[in-house]
Amino acid sequence: MAWGGDEDRRPEADEGEEELDEADYKTQKDAVLFAIDVSTSMLQQPPATDKKKSDKDSALAAALKCAYQFMQQRIIAQPKDMMGILLFNTEKSRFRDEAGGRSGSGYPHCYLFTDLDVPAAEDVKSLKALVEEGEDPDEVLVPAKDPASMANVLFCANQVFTTNAANFGSRRLFIITDNDNPHGKDKTAKSSAAVRAKDLYDLGVVIELFPVSHSGRTFDVSKFYDDIIYRDPAAEAGSSDDVKTSKSGDGLTLLNSLISNINSKQTPKRAYFSNLHFELAPNLTISVKGYMPLHRQQPARTCYVWLGGEQAQLAQSETIKVDSATRTVDKSEVKKAYKFGGEYIYFKPEEAASLKNLGGKVLRVIGFKPRSLLPMWASVKKSIFIYPSEEHFVGSTRVFSALWQKLLASDKVAIAWFVARENANPVMVAIMPSRASEDDTSDTPYLPAGLWLYPLPFADDVRNVDLSAPPRPADELTDKMREIVQNLQLPKAMYNPLKYPNPSLQWHYKILQAMALDEDVPETLDDSTVPKYKQIDKRVGGYLADWKELLVEKAQGLMKSRAVKREAEDEDDGRPLAKRPKPAAKKVAGGQMSNAQLKAAFEQDTLKKMTVAELKDVLASKGVSAVGRKAELVEKLEQWIEENV
Amino acid sequence: MADKEATVYIVDLGEPMADCHNGRDESDLDFGMRYVWDKISTTVAASRKTWTVGVVGLNTEETDNAQDREGLEGYEHISVLQDIGPMSMSALRDLRSSIQTSHTYGGDAISAIVVALSMIEVFTKKLKYNRKIILVTNGESPIDDESSEDVANRLNESNIELVVIGVDFDDADYGFKEEDKSKSKAKNETILRKLVEQCNNGVFGTMEEAVKELAVPRIKPVRPFKAYDGVLALGDPSKYESALSIHVERYFKTKRAMAPPASTVVVNPDRGGPSQTQTLDEDTEMGGAEFSGVKHMRTYRVNDPDAPGGKRDVDFEDLAKGYQYGRTVVPFSESDFSVTKLETKKSFTILGFIPFSSYNPFINMGETGIIVAQKHNEEAELGLSALIHALHELESYAVARYVQKDDAQPQILLLKPNPAVEDDFECLYDVPLPFAEDVRSYQFPPLDKVLTVTGSIIKEHRLLPSDDLKEAMSDFVDAMDLSGFDVDDEGKPVEYAPIDELYNPTIHRMNQAIRARAVDPDAPIGPPAEILLRFSNPPQKVLDKAKSEIAALIDAAEIKKVPAKAQGRRGRKEPVKPLSGLDIDALLGESKRTTISLDNAVPEFKQILATASDDATIESAAKQMGEIVRKLIRDSFADLFYARAAENLRVMREELISLEVPALYNKFLTGLKKSILSGELDGDRREMWFKHVIGGHLSLITQDESEVSEVTADEAKAFAA
Repeated sequence: MAWGGDEDRRPEADEGEEELDEADYKTQKDAVLFAIDVSTSMLQQPPATDKKKSDKDSALAAALKCAYQFMQQRIIAQPKDMMGILLFNTEKSRFRDEAGGRSGSGYPHCYLFTDLDVPAAEDVKSLKALVEEGEDPDEVLVPAKDPASMANVLFCANQVFTTNAANFGSRRLFIITDNDNPHGKDKTAKSSAAVRAKDLYDLGVVIELFPVSHSGRTFDVSKFYDDIIYRDPAAEAGSSDDVKTSKSGDGLTLLNSLISNINSKQTPKRAYFSNLHFELAPNLTISVKGYMPLHRQQPARTCYVWLGGEQAQLAQSETIKVDSATRTVDKSEVKKAYKFGGEYIYFKPEEAASLKNLGGKVLRVIGFKPRSLLPMWASVKKSIFIYPSEEHFVGSTRVFSALWQKLLASDKVAIAWFVARENANPVMVAIMPSRASEDDTSDTPYLPAGLWLYPLPFADDVRNVDLSAPPRPADELTDKMREIVQNLQLPKAMYNPLKYPNPSLQWHYKILQAMALDEDVPETLDDSTVPKYKQIDKRVGGYLADWKELLVEKAQGLMKSRAVKREAEDEDDGRPLAKRPKPAAKKVAGGQMSNAQLKAAFEQDTLKKMTVAELKDVLASKGVSAVGRKAELVEKLEQWIEENV
Repeated sequence: MADKEATVYIVDLGEPMADCHNGRDESDLDFGMRYVWDKISTTVAASRKTWTVGVVGLNTEETDNAQDREGLEGYEHISVLQDIGPMSMSALRDLRSSIQTSHTYGGDAISAIVVALSMIEVFTKKLKYNRKIILVTNGESPIDDESSEDVANRLNESNIELVVIGVDFDDADYGFKEEDKSKSKAKNETILRKLVEQCNNGVFGTMEEAVKELAVPRIKPVRPFKAYDGVLALGDPSKYESALSIHVERYFKTKRAMAPPASTVVVNPDRGGPSQTQTLDEDTEMGGAEFSGVKHMRTYRVNDPDAPGGKRDVDFEDLAKGYQYGRTVVPFSESDFSVTKLETKKSFTILGFIPFSSYNPFINMGETGIIVAQKHNEEAELGLSALIHALHELESYAVARYVQKDDAQPQILLLKPNPAVEDDFECLYDVPLPFAEDVRSYQFPPLDKVLTVTGSIIKEHRLLPSDDLKEAMSDFVDAMDLSGFDVDDEGKPVEYAPIDELYNPTIHRMNQAIRARAVDPDAPIGPPAEILLRFSNPPQKVLDKAKSEIAALIDAAEIKKVPAKAQGRRGRKEPVKPLSGLDIDALLGESKRTTISLDNAVPEFKQILATASDDATIESAAKQMGEIVRKLIRDSFADLFYARAAENLRVMREELISLEVPALYNKFLTGLKKSILSGELDGDRREMWFKHVIGGHLSLITQDESEVSEVTADEAKAFAA
């Protein structure tokens, strides 16, 4: 992935056709509708205690807070995806203010608080008011005397999805409730709910249940919800989409427990590719699906806004292609050609296609290596996660599992040729295993267990860094540094990305949210990527001071010994050179001049006697731009010496 | 590198060069020119003004060189075909026509070298250049070696590299020897070899080797780029006296190289009318002005209910910049625009340390950097070295926050110590790590156990490997090991496919094809060079060695391919049930659905088809669904219901394919097209047709998708056009 400052150094392709990446994969949009139970028990305040980590929220408040957080995260991470909130068992009813005024009547005790859509600032605002300030001017959060029929709740959700997210690839209904048996022994009500649930299944809506258990009651899914919930048809065989009950305890508030359960379903599992043939050996093929659990999240791009109307409006852009005479060009006239020596080299479409084709879509093992053989610098881009699928080859999962276990046990990687899609560019990957997150020895508890396709750099990607950095032996300084390193371990002795939100991204959306909601713009950001300076000083301040003292002493020693050595060298072959009227700077080729020599030349004002080539060499070696006339180069070098030597 | 270059190619065009030798079916000239064209076209590709090329013809009919004009003797039949200068496509074309064998000989190769030498001397003066002369000959015409020592001295004085590449010259190192070599050729070879040996900087080789090496991709060297030059700190030096700072420099170690990008072009309009456009596909002549680049112009539109079509154009000048917050747009004035950018200061600070064992490379997010101490800074050298050694001894990495320059986005980098155990290079390598937002929590079932619905754990299951399979896999992985693939001269094991042998096939395939086409526009493109596909399959040697392990693994794995048919029809036999296993169809019992409502169309349609027992039911369901689609389109305010109509169509299409009645869908769609295009569904509904039906891949079902369809792919294409 390109990074901030590096990005502009990449050659711009006229049209980015090479990389089949995120864009393709995002066409599958996601819509989530929260259905939150507003019953008396959901509204019940937890018993007051003095304990710091005890619950302060009712189950309902916790659910709404979750939804609020979900909405904010969604705006940042999935700006094209939809979300809505449906409250049920409310005294009031509201569906949509549709023409014909049949509002509410269809779905008694269902209140569509936020209609399913990409959230707008107003949606965030009204949800925030309800959650944070407890403002409920319409008295929405009043439980109904007679509970809603679940069949109605489900059909209401059905309608919301059918109309607002008709062709979304992923549609999910999140039900948050503490009632495991809404219809008791009423068989008819139960049956009609089951029928409506089947409708949702056939519509392609997945129901995710988030049961809440409080006041010591357990939630028994078999009483009612087992008739409502289906296995995700696309789920892997052997999957156990187990329903996790949220409750307080174990140092976790109900809110945190619910947030963690909902977060685990935050992003729908979108496959980056499916049915990829994974050839372990000739005549041994299994099939796998690919996912991208790691992806660099960037702030959204800027857009253009038209302010001429009553409301600020997004201006949609359209591109037209024009030729050198600004004549509009038809799509059929456009051809692809390659710039070469100031002209265009053209290939016919079928030729261009054959050039791109270096073999079909496949993941093919060419052998195995110990992991230690991978150079530690061999990294170019993020890895892709693969998981077996039984759809095309029965037995894929067990073979995959055997390979996974073997790679873990022997600390080996597979080397493979990988083409993600037809016509995608081939890459070489190392296939690495990750441990299960519940495995205590896992170094990546935030990632699933499976295999990773780790892209290897091509020879073309490796920069030849021609620097001299001769090894030096370990010494006292090393010993002292060891103490510092030992005393500054990160928490739990690991880097857990979940503890480090991206400060640029957080800031961007904080400001945006404040502007969109007309709030005060925050002044500072709580940036967890900034080191804990105070702690560092406290823990290793003493060691650091000692170390620095020793460093100064050693460096002076080294400087002296170098000076002596240089003098000796100068004397060895110095005589004839010294007689020459050439400036001191000439003795050594520019790039190898030491700072001391440069300074001497600077003080004697002999820098301008260097040639342009020499000046350029020196400047380049100092990382200063070596562009310009001689006088400018001399000036640049003088400036550098003044600042750095 | 960006150093300036001056290269003169001397090409022997004598009559003997037209002959074919040693079983080749191309002339010596064509054979030799393969090498020359490849080199020259590489220069053209670079488009560098400072990379200059000159070409001298040897044994030409004419004589055209400065030495001869001055009246010097022995410079006959030597022509300067191109003066030293930047190489362009038009120069390349001109050159192509002048590279022809003549009917003369008598030109002297060493004289030609003198001609080239003076050309370079005159052109480069005393400036900094990489100077080079490349002589391509088959050594059949006589050479006068009287002055060869002087020439060698002059070459050395002017710092010129001399490369002599002879067609069928003997080369013991490469292992080539031409039998039945003529005496004169043998003599000439000796003279040229001696000349090269006298040069400080000389190469003598045989053409076969040179041509063979052309297939090995050449990697574009890039000057090291310094990304950061500043302090690496532990603690905050501005606040705490104890804080430590080491002056370091950071360079890129890896940087993804990209294939040459294609440009969008059109045939130049001023070069004739439509008739020429027609023939262009056949006409691949690389005319200088044939194509020109295409520019993109943007227009902006906003919704306006009063305007025709609901949209109108707005001027770019009237637009403000902004960001989207959900579906709300937030405009920013030019002065406010930067507030959303986090203010940062250039810095590089260590957060803390982690053991090697808690890191896995697959969490890397991108390219590697390399960190060394500032040059000639003793404190930095010693300080960084101590950090590297301490990390190495403790098997630890450092985690640091890195801001490349003021106001750049902070990154988290993992710093890995390289204490120069294997190489002579002591440094830190760094890789970027993910932030919280970059991790998506996807859940997958465990791979080493199966959890049942009731929560119990099963360790033996068809989804889990048996002990036999585990053992077979283990043997297979060990047998296919690449680490000791070969041994080097000293008997040490050499791994297969090290990174420096992995060439990016896409880049080099493209570059080779472009160069070939530039040199010869009429030639068809050849197959990709073998070396580019070398690692697309396991090496035969390893396969042979692991033969029995592979067979054992295949046996133990018992993989069964699911027949293509079954994939599509899967799940149809068994009715889908919720977790409890409740039979919903039985529940519906008598009240089984037979009509489809607008509100609940998709589920009802699917349910009717799932239990349909005769064709009439299917037909009726399809008909009802079709009516709903038409109604949705007809009643749609602007494009409000289009997505829903498309979704209904999609479900209809999918279900009818799996029931193998594609004709029902195709018939309906043909009618729908007519209705839409004739405007009978209440106005202009073309957007529905083109964007949703055609754009959404909902066109006719072809024979490729359903065997029983009567529609061919071509018919479907014509239908969608």
